[in-house]
Amino acid sequence: MSQSRGITITTTGVPIYALILLAAIFAFGLFVVGYDQGHLFSVIMGETAFEESYLHELTHDMRHAAGFPCH
Amino acid sequence: MKTALFIAIVLAAGCFAGTIHGLANLAIVEPYLDEAIGIENQNLFASGEEEDTPQFQVEYDSYRIWQKGGQVLAGAILGTSIGALFGIVFALSRKILPGNNHVKKALVLSGIMWFTIYLIPFLKYPANPPTVGDADTVVLRAILYLSFIAISGFGAVGFYQLLKRLEKRKRFVAFIGYAAFLSTAFLLMPENPDEVTAPMDLVNGFRAMSVVAVSIFWISLGVILGALWQKYNPDKQIQTKTY
Repeated sequence: MSQSRGITITTTGVPIYALILLAAIFAFGLFVVGYDQGHLFSVIMGETAFEESYLHELTHDMRHAAGFPCH
Repeated sequence: MKTALFIAIVLAAGCFAGTIHGLANLAIVEPYLDEAIGIENQNLFASGEEEDTPQFQVEYDSYRIWQKGGQVLAGAILGTSIGALFGIVFALSRKILPGNNHVKKALVLSGIMWFTIYLIPFLKYPANPPTVGDADTVVLRAILYLSFIAISGFGAVGFYQLLKRLEKRKRFVAFIGYAAFLSTAFLLMPENPDEVTAPMDLVNGFRAMSVVAVSIFWISLGVILGALWQKYNPDKQIQTKTY
């Protein structure tokens, strides 16, 4: 006579790739809001991006309000 | 763990909390920013760098609309970013955090992170409104601020590792050690090189509202992430093998 047995496994560990992805999002978001002075857009716009500083102006008020040095 | 659900919960919580932060800033910090930028403009007129013309006002109003609109968007981006960090720490520490549900656990962690990576760095390098800060020193100030966040944050992790290895009755040593470590960092780290030239009423009011808004963010982040974790429970992954 065949007998069926079952085991139940509960996994609660955090996959390393999820942590790496979240760490990358953290670093990117922090740079965009806290530190970018035209660097990101300079990839497309060249030196003009440092003069226009679109992201800097967009994040300007949050930058001050959240405590980041701005200008 | 349901990884996709975990990531979605973490990012959604950060984005919501960041949006709340942006809205709080619009309500309570923005008046101070407007006042400070008004002083900046008066300084520009006085120095002759700009003229108080209707054209200037049109350009000024235009970029202030862009900046104020960006307040909420930047809040969502920054919130998602800090939410990602919060999610990492929560995922790794949730089993040892005090509290009988995930909301309480997340609130405890948000309180710890608010204290270590926001309040302590703020006490050394407080937020400043526009008109305060020389553009030539912005890189130095950014490095100092980020360094102090790292010193305080990694210091807390290090002294927590020490605390775990100590007997219960000796654990106060870890707290004293962290306090001594931070006091040393306070003394050794250079001061903000820029002189505060704006009226102190404005600066202090701005700083107080800034602290209130950032605190609202951290409370929101803890509550939202905890509630989402409680509801959707990304831990719950059961594999049943039958043989």
